[in-house]
Amino acid sequence: MPNQTEETRGTTKTISIRDLNKFYGSFHALKDFSIDVEAGEFLVLLGPSGCGKSTALRMIAGLESISSGTLQIGEQDATNVLPKYRDIAMVFQSYALYPHKTVAENIGFPLKVAKTPKAEMDAAVRAAAEQVELGELLDRLPGQLSGGQRQRVALARAIIRRPSVFLMDEPLSNLDAKLRGNMRAELKRMQSELGITTIYVTHDQIEAMTLAHRVAIMKDGELQQLATPKEVYSQPANLFVAGFMGSPPMNFLEGGVVNGEFGTEESRFALPGAPDTAHAVVGFRPEDCTLVAPGAGLVDARVYTVEMTGDLVLVTLELGGAHLVVKMDKDFEIDTDVTAGIAVQPDNLFLFDGNSGDRVDWTGPRS
Amino acid sequence: MSTPARPHRSIFEPPAIGQMSLATKIVLYSVLIGWSLFVLFPVYWLLITSFKEATAVNEGPFFIPWVDFQPSLHAWKELFVIDYADTLRAYFNSIIISLAATALSVLVGSMAAYALSRVEYAPNLITILFFVALLALVAVSVGVWGIDWRLAAAVGVALFFFLARAVGNLYQVRLQNGDILFWIISQRILAPIVVVVPIYMMFQSVRMLDTHLAIILTYTVVNMPIVVWLMYDFFNSIPRDLEESAQLDGATMIGIFREIVLPLSRAGLAATTLLVMILSWNEYLLALFLSTSRAQTMPILVAAMNAGERGILWWTMSVAIIVMIIPVVVLAVILQKYISKGLLVGAVKG
Ligand SMILES: Nc1ncnc2c1ncn2[C@@H]1O[C@H](COP(=O)(O)OP(=O)(O)O)[C@@H](O)[C@H]1O
Ligand SMILES: [Mg+2]
Repeated sequence: MPNQTEETRGTTKTISIRDLNKFYGSFHALKDFSIDVEAGEFLVLLGPSGCGKSTALRMIAGLESISSGTLQIGEQDATNVLPKYRDIAMVFQSYALYPHKTVAENIGFPLKVAKTPKAEMDAAVRAAAEQVELGELLDRLPGQLSGGQRQRVALARAIIRRPSVFLMDEPLSNLDAKLRGNMRAELKRMQSELGITTIYVTHDQIEAMTLAHRVAIMKDGELQQLATPKEVYSQPANLFVAGFMGSPPMNFLEGGVVNGEFGTEESRFALPGAPDTAHAVVGFRPEDCTLVAPGAGLVDARVYTVEMTGDLVLVTLELGGAHLVVKMDKDFEIDTDVTAGIAVQPDNLFLFDGNSGDRVDWTGPRS
Repeated sequence: MSTPARPHRSIFEPPAIGQMSLATKIVLYSVLIGWSLFVLFPVYWLLITSFKEATAVNEGPFFIPWVDFQPSLHAWKELFVIDYADTLRAYFNSIIISLAATALSVLVGSMAAYALSRVEYAPNLITILFFVALLALVAVSVGVWGIDWRLAAAVGVALFFFLARAVGNLYQVRLQNGDILFWIISQRILAPIVVVVPIYMMFQSVRMLDTHLAIILTYTVVNMPIVVWLMYDFFNSIPRDLEESAQLDGATMIGIFREIVLPLSRAGLAATTLLVMILSWNEYLLALFLSTSRAQTMPILVAAMNAGERGILWWTMSVAIIVMIIPVVVLAVILQKYISKGLLVGAVKG
């Protein structure tokens, strides 16, 4: 899965995380966290704010102690190894540039502490700065740079040492939307060129989908699903993942299944082969459904708002207090407060257990 | 997205001087000059008073030398020729004591502040209370009941460990860094006058009255809370990310301190040093109790000048005050280039 050439293999390392736990006092911030990261893989930790992504990353870096569990980097057990012996470079959310050092000194800092000869260091700084297109700014102080430029300095400082592992904690979150898009593409290209194992933390699902070889989705300190972006999208493990991925997120209808028929208070439709339960949730994505004449679709609902986004029209409908969103063509027109049917292909319907939230496989594996 | 940045400023931010209208400039400069005169006049007054004879002081006010009155060096002579031994001794005492006390309190205090800002402590309140109670008990048993101090100390230590182990774990009331910091600062809330008698008796009983060491130690302790307080805030303003990043990049503890923490805290250290230096330099009350002659400092010398049978010696007092101001001004000039703001700009985005 990770895209690797023969030369880069070996410098980069696998990371094996086993049952990692973190307690802050009595607060359980990370719960039995286990992941195997392949060498050269780009793994993204994704989850809402406060779910423990940074905590997990900082534990891998060694900046936060491990309450229980083990961490292995390459062949070495790193559970209790000091950060500086882990051969990890980290890009902090805050960039953590040294404000009293010039750009060149910032980038060269890892080599300086490694007592690299001056000439070699200067050449490396120059090369790293070229790589992130910072060549002319080497003598500036961080305070004189724009947000995007600071971000690049942080990146150059991380790549200059050719570490075996990259850790990045929301490195793009403070850039404006356009710059973020550019940097995302550059990051992806750089990672695949360098082939260095990368763990990247973000709360932005677009970043996760575009950058990751695999995405690890977290909630309240617990791993929800670890899979490729495609799998996470098309086979979400549970309601949380289904509701977190995609924008706008998946639509949900709550109800129960009786004799292969799903029923809510307002409506009922056939769900052949679905197991009977008193409490179930049916989900479908806004992009997988269309609006049809009342009665012709799965359910009927009242149009609540219509939003034009440029390349498509988002229609929000109301059904029993819940909102359902349908993505339509950019030419689509409909009035508010009229009733419309929502049509969904049966194999685009997801069924979730209403109590545990886990997805129920009822039509066999999807593509 | 890329609209050109429009120069804007907040309501309370004044425009640069170059952009002001003439009227604004005139008002601004008159106010500034007026204020400067107001502030500098006492210093000027001090200076000319030091060159006045008794008559020029008593029949005054006279403002301009050679015009209003005839300046004379008699006060300077009195202090630096006739009484030079006393004056110079007090002067050097002041310098030695202030420098030593400042160095000690800044060194120890900033280390404490750094630890408080970077390490999370969680001492058990019960254990601390046991410690204090046993300390008091040992002191009483030695002092009042005449028990051999070695015995008392040994029993005290043994009891402490026993109680801390046996009972300490049952009641887990943990203090936090904030509590420790408040305790340290609270030491300064107590007015020195309250503790001056106990301190006097303490140094008396170890026969250290009128020594430099006694005053240095006292000043160090008295100033420590201020250093810890100021430096704690200052270290807290340095993002931890910087140190963590350096740590990941392979820097050693000492390397991080030298390369990152020290350069970034220079301004805070300079400001704290200056403040503590001035406080020690001007301290009167404790010095009054702790020194009689050999360790006498300048403030004591100055104060003694208005208590003689010759009345208040304004002229010699002015001389003493002027020479007292000089070292502080020199220090302020040396340190002021470090006391610049905005050093942390660019450390973190935002
Ligand atoms: N040093 C700490 N002490 C106590 N709680 C903490 C500490 N650091 C993080 N937490 C808590 O742990 C949870 C996870 O934090 P974090 O890993 O920073 O979340 P994320 O990066 O996913 O937004 C949060 O609820 C946060 O309040
Ligand atoms: Mg975070």
